[in-house]
Amino acid sequence: MDWQRLYTGAIRLKNKAMAPPLLRALTDNNIDNGWGESSMKISRRVILEGTGAGLVAATVPLSAQQVSVAAVPVAVPKTSIRLTVNGQAQSIEVEDRWTLVEVLRDHLQLTGTKIGCDRGECGACTVLVNGKAVYACSQLAVWMDGRTVQTIEGLAQGTKLDPLQEAFIAHDAPQCGYCTSGQLMAAKALLNENPKPTRDQVRAGMTGNLCRCSNYNHYVEAVMAAAGTLTNGGVA
Amino acid sequence: MTPLNSVGHREPRIDALLRVTGKAEYTGDVKLPGMLYARLLRSPHPHARIRSIDTSKAAALPGVRAILTKDNCDTVWSSGDTLGQRKLFNNPLRFTGEAVAAIAAVNRHVAEEAMALIQVDYEVLPFVLDVDKAMEDGAPEIHPGGNLSPNNQRRREPQTYKRGDAAKGVAEADRVFESSFTSSHHNNAQMELRTSLAYWEGSKLTVYASTQGIANCQRDIAKDLNIAEPNVRVICHYMGGGFGNKNQSHDFDLFAALLAKEAKAPVKVEFTRKEDFVAVHGRWSSKQSYKIGVKNDGTLTSIQMTARTGAGAYRKSSCDLSGTEIYQVPNLETATTPIYTNTAVAANYRAPAYPQGVFGIESAIDDVAYALKMDPLEFRLKNMTRKFRDQTPYTSFGLEDCLRKGAEAFGWKQRWKPVAGSGTGPVKRGAGMAMGMFGSALGRSSAVAKVDAKGNYSIHVGVTDCGTAAKTTMGLIAAEELGVPLNKVTVVWGDTDTCPYSVGESGSRTTVQTGEAVIAAVKDLKKMIAEKGMPTGTNDLVAMVTTNPAAIAGASRQSFVAHFAEVEVNVETGHIAVVKFTAAHDSGRIINPLTAESQVQGGAIQGIGMALHEELRYDPRSGQPLNAGYYGARIMTHMDAPKVDVLWIETEDAYGPFGAKTLGEPTIIPTVAAVGNAIYNAIGKRMRNLPMTRERVLEVLA
Repeated sequence: MDWQRLYTGAIRLKNKAMAPPLLRALTDNNIDNGWGESSMKISRRVILEGTGAGLVAATVPLSAQQVSVAAVPVAVPKTSIRLTVNGQAQSIEVEDRWTLVEVLRDHLQLTGTKIGCDRGECGACTVLVNGKAVYACSQLAVWMDGRTVQTIEGLAQGTKLDPLQEAFIAHDAPQCGYCTSGQLMAAKALLNENPKPTRDQVRAGMTGNLCRCSNYNHYVEAVMAAAGTLTNGGVA
Repeated sequence: MTPLNSVGHREPRIDALLRVTGKAEYTGDVKLPGMLYARLLRSPHPHARIRSIDTSKAAALPGVRAILTKDNCDTVWSSGDTLGQRKLFNNPLRFTGEAVAAIAAVNRHVAEEAMALIQVDYEVLPFVLDVDKAMEDGAPEIHPGGNLSPNNQRRREPQTYKRGDAAKGVAEADRVFESSFTSSHHNNAQMELRTSLAYWEGSKLTVYASTQGIANCQRDIAKDLNIAEPNVRVICHYMGGGFGNKNQSHDFDLFAALLAKEAKAPVKVEFTRKEDFVAVHGRWSSKQSYKIGVKNDGTLTSIQMTARTGAGAYRKSSCDLSGTEIYQVPNLETATTPIYTNTAVAANYRAPAYPQGVFGIESAIDDVAYALKMDPLEFRLKNMTRKFRDQTPYTSFGLEDCLRKGAEAFGWKQRWKPVAGSGTGPVKRGAGMAMGMFGSALGRSSAVAKVDAKGNYSIHVGVTDCGTAAKTTMGLIAAEELGVPLNKVTVVWGDTDTCPYSVGESGSRTTVQTGEAVIAAVKDLKKMIAEKGMPTGTNDLVAMVTTNPAAIAGASRQSFVAHFAEVEVNVETGHIAVVKFTAAHDSGRIINPLTAESQVQGGAIQGIGMALHEELRYDPRSGQPLNAGYYGARIMTHMDAPKVDVLWIETEDAYGPFGAKTLGEPTIIPTVAAVGNAIYNAIGKRMRNLPMTRERVLEVLA
């Protein structure tokens, strides 16, 4: 990977004081120098931008970037994309640095998809893209051009709940409910591929979705009930 | 126990539909016209003095609307420490991640860009991370006066409890055992990020908070901003967990309010996940030592416990340790000393003082039982508390049944090995158990009960429902007292402008305290209906009651719990799997067994995470947190979570709503110790340090 180019790309967004932790964040996700959170976030965007339109900016000399950041509005690259969200065609101009979850929550008002970590660790933002479960915080919006996205708001058919939603209510799957949208979408993706999962298959299929209330027992029972594989006592 | 109509049946939450359709609006989902987004710049150093801050470049960035630093904001965040002295911006900075500047801008990207343009000149100071090193001569002084944290009477002394004479108890003992244990700082890690949205209409401030207690959040914001409480409105309709670290007002509420005032626009403050782990608070760490005297027949004569606990950079809670109270022993002395270090602040996390303290005492007691060749279950039955502090009778007492019936349901006799470590093969099985108790006192709360001419009832309660199903619980209690089905009762919650005082969802107090207020309000309403008849036309009948019961005379009200765990330990890899778990709980009458089961299973699984994985680690050379975030914290996942079997020991209790006692916090109290004791039974080696990681298993086996 061309670290120098990524590094310069970062400068376009941030000042050079951020550079050393940024480089470290790029090479090791767990160790950051100083207050590294924003560098973690930059690192994602930089990597993402390195794959998209942002590469142009990476060639601009550093000194010019410094001046421009402080003095005038930063010209943020934008791209027009078309995608289908919950069956509706959408045409939207996105900033290249926007993630899918940002577009869903901030620009399409679909706030049922939650952000728990914004760095691909917790699964609260899980949505279906072309039928497969993905973390919406870890997908650039520009990548969604031509894709089909399903969120929690599109799970019920009108007022008719999905069997998963019915089962989640009956088995008290949500406690605080913040991870629930992600759990439901992960379960939907699982049942799309494996309509009759065992308990262990449900656990494995949903293990990328954390629940700090730790209501895992009820989540698994609910998914199995929806699939018709729950027998007495919740043992498959 | 007499069966009831609404209470005691498995009832789905009244808001479950909104939670499974994405329509439940959490604080972070609220968006107002013209709303700005705020970010925090934080200290990269564990200990540093700010020589100067230059915000001019950041302020010049188009889209930046307000910047707060110590230079233009000296607001005290009084619930930020027990002394009420901590400011929003402090100098010196005492931990990596302490706030340096708050920036509001037109969107979050501009706010983040502005962060990088703030230039701070730091004088880096020496730091200390370890509680023992912090007490050595010449250690960096984190607060003036030293690193022994003063208590809320401002005295620099340990928190102590004493009955009898421990030295005498030791002299009377046939055998004396000494042992030490440690536990680590770990984070509440609730799924919802920290966020707060504030706006002003003239002198009235509205805050969409993510809080466990709208009333105490309102009280604290009003105090710190010096405005009248009725001029602060706090709204929290849905909140994504807290486990103790979203009670009272938080600095993000105050940042939002102050930035909104400065920018003359609504401001939403958002913390990142890393900020949540490092800059808010987690459970305090501990170093505990025990000296236990016992007769040859297994009768305890004396327990002494001394401990140091890690308060972090500010003292935000008691930092005490609990656990020894579950034993009947004539001579008991405990002393806990909270110490400042340059690390993340420690404060309340689900049963704040308990799971780590119970890990210590229950591990130590387990050692005593094995040394006397007694079954640990029998040892506990012999020595468990029967009166509070050996003196005051309990209003109801289900501990013995938790032990006996829990052991039976778990299959203790079949699963526990009389000789620890006697299994063969690389994967060894073992069983362990531990017990605990948690206060269930009565206390002040308020409720409003209302009926209209059509016979629709509504209950107004100041709960937010942090995941406990509190709204549903209040609805069930009201329905029971009214004698109507739950769907005839509307619950109004989560807004200080429409709901009366509730204690806040901490200390597991909501069901008991607000539940009692609901019953009292409904009783008043029924009396009004009897006297005046049902209302007609557009009239309502409204009853508002504040209950503030006196302390129960001559009796102590407690919930009891025993947890039983079976583990498999791979002695070649150190891997531990919890394969069977039984949780027996005496929480009096269970209002809603469905949602209560969720709480017990969740609390126990959280506790297993605390036992096996969770710890916030620091690099000793740089003072930097190394694993802030979900991957690093290693909280429990679907794949880690065992099935937790729940057993209700429903004792009859004359107090509380229909005899209900506390539940939420007891669910994690004995879990950690039960897992540790099961590991001992499996491998014959005592795990003395939390978390009980693979490395540590291999270490004790080496």
